[in-house]
Amino acid sequence: MRAIEPRGRTDASAIRIRDLTVLYHTERGMLPALKDVNLDVRSGIITGFIGESGSGKTTLAMAMMNTIRLPGRIQRGRVEVPNVGNVLEFQGERLRRLHGQMFGFVFQASSNSLNPLKRIGSQLLDLGRSHGLTNGRQILADAKALAHRMGMDADRVLTAYQHELSGGMRQRVGIIFALILRAQVLILDEPTTALDMLSQQAVLEIVREIHVEQGLTTVIITHDMGVVAEMAQRVAVLYAGRVVEEGPTPEVLREPRHPYTRGLLHAIPRITGSLEEAQPLSGSPPDLTTVPSQGCVFRDRCPLRMPVCDRVEPETRSAHGDGVVACHGVTADD
Amino acid sequence: MIEVKNLVKTFPAQGGFLKQGEVQAVKGVSFSIPASGAVTFIGESGCGKTTIGRILTGLESYDSGEILYNGMSLADLSPTERRDRLRKVQLIQQDPYAALNPSRTVAQSLTAPLAWEAKRQRRSKTWIEDRSREVLTQVGLNPDVVLPKYPHMLSGGQRQRVVVARALTVNPDVLVADEAVSMIDVSLRLGILHLLHRLCTEEGIAVLFITHDVAAARYVGSDGSLYVIYQGEIVEQGRTEELIQSPVHPYTQSLLSAVPVLRGLERPGEDRYIPRAEFTSGDSTACRFALRCRFSQERCRTEKPLVTTWGKDHHRHTCHFPAPRRVVAEPIENERL
Repeated sequence: MRAIEPRGRTDASAIRIRDLTVLYHTERGMLPALKDVNLDVRSGIITGFIGESGSGKTTLAMAMMNTIRLPGRIQRGRVEVPNVGNVLEFQGERLRRLHGQMFGFVFQASSNSLNPLKRIGSQLLDLGRSHGLTNGRQILADAKALAHRMGMDADRVLTAYQHELSGGMRQRVGIIFALILRAQVLILDEPTTALDMLSQQAVLEIVREIHVEQGLTTVIITHDMGVVAEMAQRVAVLYAGRVVEEGPTPEVLREPRHPYTRGLLHAIPRITGSLEEAQPLSGSPPDLTTVPSQGCVFRDRCPLRMPVCDRVEPETRSAHGDGVVACHGVTADD
Repeated sequence: MIEVKNLVKTFPAQGGFLKQGEVQAVKGVSFSIPASGAVTFIGESGCGKTTIGRILTGLESYDSGEILYNGMSLADLSPTERRDRLRKVQLIQQDPYAALNPSRTVAQSLTAPLAWEAKRQRRSKTWIEDRSREVLTQVGLNPDVVLPKYPHMLSGGQRQRVVVARALTVNPDVLVADEAVSMIDVSLRLGILHLLHRLCTEEGIAVLFITHDVAAARYVGSDGSLYVIYQGEIVEQGRTEELIQSPVHPYTQSLLSAVPVLRGLERPGEDRYIPRAEFTSGDSTACRFALRCRFSQERCRTEKPLVTTWGKDHHRHTCHFPAPRRVVAEPIENERL
């Protein structure tokens, strides 16, 4: 096991998300799933998006690629990718081609994203063909190399149907699909939620190694602080469609500033230490319809609630050096 | 209260184009669940832990072995008696999203089993309502808020609580919680684990907790017993807290290694070891874990290890070369940058 040193790259090469607001059309009108999100996803490192169900973490990743579907709609904002421009201005065939070149997405349950009637290899060829790669041999050779790299029997995997593979192997196949077109940005949506701990750890280590070898920009979406702590150099904590804290993972873990982040950290079941130390987060995560429209969105579950929290939504301020936090209870940065 | 001896379960070969050979999911497992005790089964997907849970709740048959409920063998009972007995063993399944009927309110979901109970015990309608409020309170939900709601209006944690409440309607002696927290957000898991712990200690309900997450086992019952299952066999067993702190079987150690390290607060244990190879069925004449084991030697591949005890607490394991190893992450003592 080796730890990866955070590589200090300049902000210029980051994916810059600015004022991103995504609305969902519901029975109760248009409700924001993301509200004024500002975030730099730095290139060359692993970034974790963490939050509970319904916090908007998947929506954020989808919006980054401009793939929000109805009933969702991107109301405003920009997503600037270096050398590409604002992704949100891309449409149709141009957008599809950009996806092929830029982004690799690994879905939460890979079994649902694979065709049950076709062998893995033939699906890979389809994918290549749809993006203008006609050299099938090359695609299969690349896929074999990747499969082998991930500790799988390459021939077996490529000739298998998805149901013949275990959960951990399917998730690895998902990664092959994401990388076969040589994506630069790898996004993994809850890559390990359906896996047991051993497969989870094996998949995470593979992701980490491939991330380094291929010089990727990686985003891991998860509700498990353990996964973020294990993998990510930076972490963005999402709550009710807002980024409430962001910064380098070790700093955020050592000194979480936002009470929500603190709650998430305390809620991890641990194998060492006293049992009383770990406490579940009180209350339930809000969904679109229960997010308060004014004031701090976290106040109902917050141990530090103050009168001001009911009226004013906290501004983001700098924390953890180059990170941010949005909470009235947090005083000036150290 | 429940004693299981030499339980064996084989799934028959499947024909057709899948051509799966027969699978022995449980290979002679013995254990006991004491009244109001907490017992945990741990192992990875496919190790047979779920099958054991299903057999105990009567959802699956078994080939050989004996299951004694309060000293009576299940096989000797008449169908009616067996049904009555198994009603006291309730299963809580993994997926709280699928376990509740989406078109029924929580009140309706709870009323159905309670109506049965009411009929059996000749109770009135008001008893049904009082009882549904009582079980919801028992699982830490507010009946006034939750009763009229549909499952989609609840969070994963709340849904799982409703599922537990529904199991409580029949006053069970045993709850079999099969991966009951793995589909729930980590932030809410502890709440469910604390609930199971409370049901165990305060209500005297025995809990069989089936999981792949070692850490979760501690919170259900740290002084209960823990069974580590690999390919249908128990490879290590002991008191939960002791076993987690000092395992000697390499498989248990790799399960502990798999717990994520909080980098920045902790550093990985020196001997941390995660087998990359997938689960393959091992040989019955050798140690089944030998193929994936970092410490395996010639003897492991030729001779089947027997059950042996280890240490002061005499916990039991099946390994030729047991040794304590440092696999758990260690806290970093406030070294500032």
